[in-house]
Amino acid sequence: MPRYNIWFFSSLVIALIVALPIITVFFSFFSETSNYFNVLKNTFLFEYINNSLIILISVLIITFFVGVASAYFVSFYDFPFSNFFSWALILAFAIPGYIFAFSIIAFFENYGTAYTILTNLFGEHNYNPLIPKFDSLIGSIIAISFSLFPYVFVLTRSSFLYQSNNYIEVGQNLGLSEKETFYKIILPSARPAIIAGLALVAMECLSDFGTVSFFSVNTLTTGIYNSWLSFDDLNTANQISFILLLFILLLFSFEIYSRREARYHQPSRGFKPINKIKLTGKKSLIPFMFCFLIFFVSFVFPVSQMIFWTFKFPKYFQDIDILKINLNTLYLVGLASLCLVATSLLINYGSRISKSKILNYLTNFSISGYAIPGVILAVAFITFFSNLSDLITNFFNVGSTKHLFIGSISGLILAYFVRFFSLSFNGIKSSYEKINNSIDESAYLLGYSKVRTFSKIHVPYLKNNIILIIVLISLEIIKELPITMILRPFNFETFATQAYVYASQDLLEAAALPSLFLIGWATILILFSSKYILSPKN
Amino acid sequence: MSKNFFEIRNGYFVASEKNKVNNVNLAIEKQGDVVSLLGPSGVGKTTILRTIAGLQKINSGEIFLKNKIISSENFHLEPEKRNIALSFQDNSLFPNYKVIDNINFGKKRSKGNRFEIKANDIIKLLHIEPILEKYPHQISAGEAQRVSLARSIMSNPDLLLLDEPFSNIDQNLKDEIQYSVKNLLKKMSLTTILVTHDSFEAFSLADKCGIILNQELKQFDVPYSVHHEPNSIEVAKFLNRGVFVDVEVIETDCAVHSLKHSVLGEIRGKLVNNFPAGSKVKLLLQPEDLIHDDQSKLKLEVIDKKFRGTNFIYTLKTSSDEKIPVFVHSHHIHQHEKSEKFGIKTPIFIDHLVCF
Repeated sequence: MPRYNIWFFSSLVIALIVALPIITVFFSFFSETSNYFNVLKNTFLFEYINNSLIILISVLIITFFVGVASAYFVSFYDFPFSNFFSWALILAFAIPGYIFAFSIIAFFENYGTAYTILTNLFGEHNYNPLIPKFDSLIGSIIAISFSLFPYVFVLTRSSFLYQSNNYIEVGQNLGLSEKETFYKIILPSARPAIIAGLALVAMECLSDFGTVSFFSVNTLTTGIYNSWLSFDDLNTANQISFILLLFILLLFSFEIYSRREARYHQPSRGFKPINKIKLTGKKSLIPFMFCFLIFFVSFVFPVSQMIFWTFKFPKYFQDIDILKINLNTLYLVGLASLCLVATSLLINYGSRISKSKILNYLTNFSISGYAIPGVILAVAFITFFSNLSDLITNFFNVGSTKHLFIGSISGLILAYFVRFFSLSFNGIKSSYEKINNSIDESAYLLGYSKVRTFSKIHVPYLKNNIILIIVLISLEIIKELPITMILRPFNFETFATQAYVYASQDLLEAAALPSLFLIGWATILILFSSKYILSPKN
Repeated sequence: MSKNFFEIRNGYFVASEKNKVNNVNLAIEKQGDVVSLLGPSGVGKTTILRTIAGLQKINSGEIFLKNKIISSENFHLEPEKRNIALSFQDNSLFPNYKVIDNINFGKKRSKGNRFEIKANDIIKLLHIEPILEKYPHQISAGEAQRVSLARSIMSNPDLLLLDEPFSNIDQNLKDEIQYSVKNLLKKMSLTTILVTHDSFEAFSLADKCGIILNQELKQFDVPYSVHHEPNSIEVAKFLNRGVFVDVEVIETDCAVHSLKHSVLGEIRGKLVNNFPAGSKVKLLLQPEDLIHDDQSKLKLEVIDKKFRGTNFIYTLKTSSDEKIPVFVHSHHIHQHEKSEKFGIKTPIFIDHLVCF
């Protein structure tokens, strides 16, 4: 029998909040279809799915190649700057796909940066026909791939790095050549990690809204957004969400499955780090050039483009209230971190002391929020709170209560909560699990109450972990676009929304300053947490 | 209420379907006594300790400490209010505190208590000085065990519970630490219950020893009696490396009793349990009971020989196919190989004749 105590009910409430978007989308799917949905079904829906799948498959191929190859080079070879690349390649996490997209357009467009460079180098000439132009689909694929490949890089690298040298030595001892060792031993044992990385890429790719919307590619996410914004048809938006959610849930279960498999490859006792092969001269050129190219394209290129424009158009320093955006971001980050960390601590503590199985199921369910794309989450939130407000109005005969959660900070924080609860909950859980149960019991036996055990033993132990989680939440919120776009209060801007709003108005040069700030903050946060990101357990 | 310092009455302890101990009656009469609970792994010893500490509820029965009830079916005093310390078998040190801070955690409770303990004395006694500034993850399992022990003792509890406290400590340090801990417990008059599966540890440290087998507390007595006068075949089998052989009781009226074995002949000594003459019983033969004598006419065949440092253990076979172990000092010059004949001194005399 479950014990219906405070821990049970608080876990239940959180599970319900996280379940809101899924439940809303589910019920909307079975409600009456509108004319628009029927029109859509016969016209664009196929295109949405088709484009989403084309982008997905292409991104998977590129991120697989880029992520695995770069991880292989930095893990097994010692070449100039190999240690630098092993952490610098994750800096691509600081560039959201949509900012990469701005950079591509800014560089390659007619009279863009490429044109300026060529003019400066070779004098005046019409270079526009010589500069390649990427169509929207290809542009989206490149932008998304280079912003997401670090998922594959990080997980594959960990798997390579923490594969014991013993296996490789055994392989060589059994007469395998270097190439055979790679294909027969190294790659197969890294497979679960690679698949887990690709599953994350796939989920993020399907959830992407900023990039595809900037390139005006019709995908499922832009379809959802447009149904809501242009046609004011929440029902249709949710029905498209349902289709997208099916894809996502499939990937989600796939990811969980591969992670479980990957666990068997954790380092154990007798672990010997890999002896890197030292490359010099011409031989070192291939891995160096490859890693340098990836680092350049994924990080240096967009950053320089944004710096170039920021200083080329200094007037936006005055036009954009950058201090206010900084404060807005800080406000959101602070409030969301506080709610997330406090709740995660409490729920973790609750499930630790009550040891209830039902509580475990509830909390496990609550962490599914991270799989739900931001657009779906935001639209489902609006649907739910509109319906709820109508219900309250009819029942109690009071005015609309929509504004409490739609277009308000509280709504925004609630949506962030659903999206990032798993990040914060799992982060604290992984650290909490390291505190042996007998440690709590020892404290009780030394006369410490439950509250004092929590404050004197648990919190000091979890302190570093909590800081790290705040860093990771901040990173996510700073980069987050669709939820903030849709649910923010009127005229409330973050770096992401400000950059996106300018860019969608074709004012790319104005988008540079907020983009640069976004990248700057994200880079600092990534550097701060790089040790954690690159650790084998994550 | 209970007149004893500590008492378990009809205790029923359950950790899982297999791991339970029924009908435990155990009393520690006066403060400062050390009691050990001995039994094979997984028999439920730790469950008993956890229940006494208040980390688990008792299924039925009662537990008293200092004349007050602390556990029963309807009453459960929270662990932090019991003033009972438990030193865990696994590492339970607070990971984010240094060794010295971990030890000082125990101090909170000891304030104003009857005995002024100096942390330095305990630290010295348990050889903890070199690791005081280290964190728990930087020390070995044996060191962690000593720190945990120090922390528990520092809290100066009414009752100290030790769960396999020396299991990870190096053999060369074990004897010294056991000796120091025993002296300290006595000096502090600290009532202690020790759980172990090592009979030497249980016998050397405790005033009284309980044997837990097959979900029951089989015997609770002073170590000497438990060893020499086990009250059941199970206890005897658990404690000894001996064997049971079939004998007939011949003479029980005199001061020295006499038994007869078909091959070994007459065996004299004092029967621990009384049997009438003519009874067919099983006698416990321990390796030290038979004495080697090359001149003896009673000879048995050697079927195995093990070198154990200070002694050899020979396994001998009787004509009725019984296998009997015999200790011989390893300095003994007459060494015997397998299938050779091995002489046994007659008549055989055994102080305690343990028969069932």
